[in-house]
Amino acid sequence: MYDTSEIRKGLKVEMDGQPWTVTYFQFVKPGKGTAFTRTKLKSLLTGNVVDRTFRTGEKLEPAQVETVSMQYMYNDADGWNFMNTETFDQISISADALGTSANYLIEDMVIDVLLYKGKPVNVELPNFVEMVIECDPGVKGNTAQGGTKPATLPNGATIQVPLFIETGTKIRIDTRTDEYMERVKE
Amino acid sequence: MNAEGLRQRGAVLAALRGWFADHGYVEVPTPALVPSPALEESLFAVPAGDGWLRTSPEFALKRVLAAGLPRIYELGPCFRDRERGDWHGREFLMLEWYRVGASLPDLMDEVEALVAAAARAVNRPAPPLWERISVRDLFMRTVGVDLAHQRADAAAPRADEDWDTAFFRAWVDQVEPSLQAPTFVFDWPASQAALARVFHDPVWPTTQRFEAYLGGVELANAFLELIDSAEQRRRFHAANAKRAAAGEAPHPLDERLIEAVGRMPPTSGIAMGVDRLVAAVCGWDSIAPGRVD
Repeated sequence: MYDTSEIRKGLKVEMDGQPWTVTYFQFVKPGKGTAFTRTKLKSLLTGNVVDRTFRTGEKLEPAQVETVSMQYMYNDADGWNFMNTETFDQISISADALGTSANYLIEDMVIDVLLYKGKPVNVELPNFVEMVIECDPGVKGNTAQGGTKPATLPNGATIQVPLFIETGTKIRIDTRTDEYMERVKE
Repeated sequence: MNAEGLRQRGAVLAALRGWFADHGYVEVPTPALVPSPALEESLFAVPAGDGWLRTSPEFALKRVLAAGLPRIYELGPCFRDRERGDWHGREFLMLEWYRVGASLPDLMDEVEALVAAAARAVNRPAPPLWERISVRDLFMRTVGVDLAHQRADAAAPRADEDWDTAFFRAWVDQVEPSLQAPTFVFDWPASQAALARVFHDPVWPTTQRFEAYLGGVELANAFLELIDSAEQRRRFHAANAKRAAAGEAPHPLDERLIEAVGRMPPTSGIAMGVDRLVAAVCGWDSIAPGRVD
């Protein structure tokens, strides 16, 4: 069990039959009262965020989660298939569990997969990925400023890119914000 | 810590001392190493030598009041174990002042003037008008319960938490986040009196205490001081009983304080967190920039 003094960002706890990760915490103590820790918890299953306040002395149950390194192989009707890089075991992750992370998977990419009670529930992508996009022809002379246009990622999702980008260009994407960063020079 | 933050803290400290000198207060440094720490069930003193580091200078300053000084203040370090965070430090700067014959509204006026002086010292505008509201009205407004007749968590009471814990849980979750404008909150539940006088209303007994909120953070706590030695002794025993029930060691009673409480003239006193005052008037989101860590 965790003590309230062990609450940190990224701590994973079990509550109401779900695993949660702490995304925010603050110690607070009313002048003549007992101390509390305010938290924001994000569900590792649904991504929902809730506010929870723990009284000092309350115990938090550790979530039964583990992180394993896995290589993405292919997707089929059953889901997205990965291979454990140490044991070579293969697992399939549902599109629901992957969410928008599926947009950025490239064959052979190695990512961290979060297992909850042995079942994959979430993946941790690298902060930046590089992908070749398809889009309308680039507009000459339109460089840094100006508007954007949609471009299609290999997995079918769309992202906004600057007007000057040509189809077939490799770009760098921030997976945390789903935003175009820059062209990748080869 | 950063150089600009420390410069601003220095300016605020100079302004505070100037304000007290202008208003007839005597600065009285008292010992930081004490034989009996504060006796409240949710304060934890740091042991030092054969005693403790003070959690506040209250006991010593009350002996000074009994000795005949009518307007006194102290500005110095205090220590509270198990308190760390954006707005807490185990060691922090406390400002306490006492004024014989003053009412709690008198002290509210002084807090407004001091905060304005602190803001001026760092070239910031003084906070706008302060609201003055009772705890009961504030709970009606933010939680929608009447504390005189209900628990704060009336809708979903928790069996493992008593009335006061339910009160503070609601305070932390619902009430305090609403206190963004400068606010004085008065008439606290009688069970949270500490060293303040109690008003024995049969429907809603309250204690003659207020807290000042600035920038969403508790800045100060004021008492119409208890001046009854027997009642003081009874409360210390009650606090020790609660400590024992929570598995904490009891503290020795400060007999010199208990004796002095009975000789004090009617007085109001207040304790203010100076690190928080500096952060609030400078607009910081923690006390860190103004502290040497």
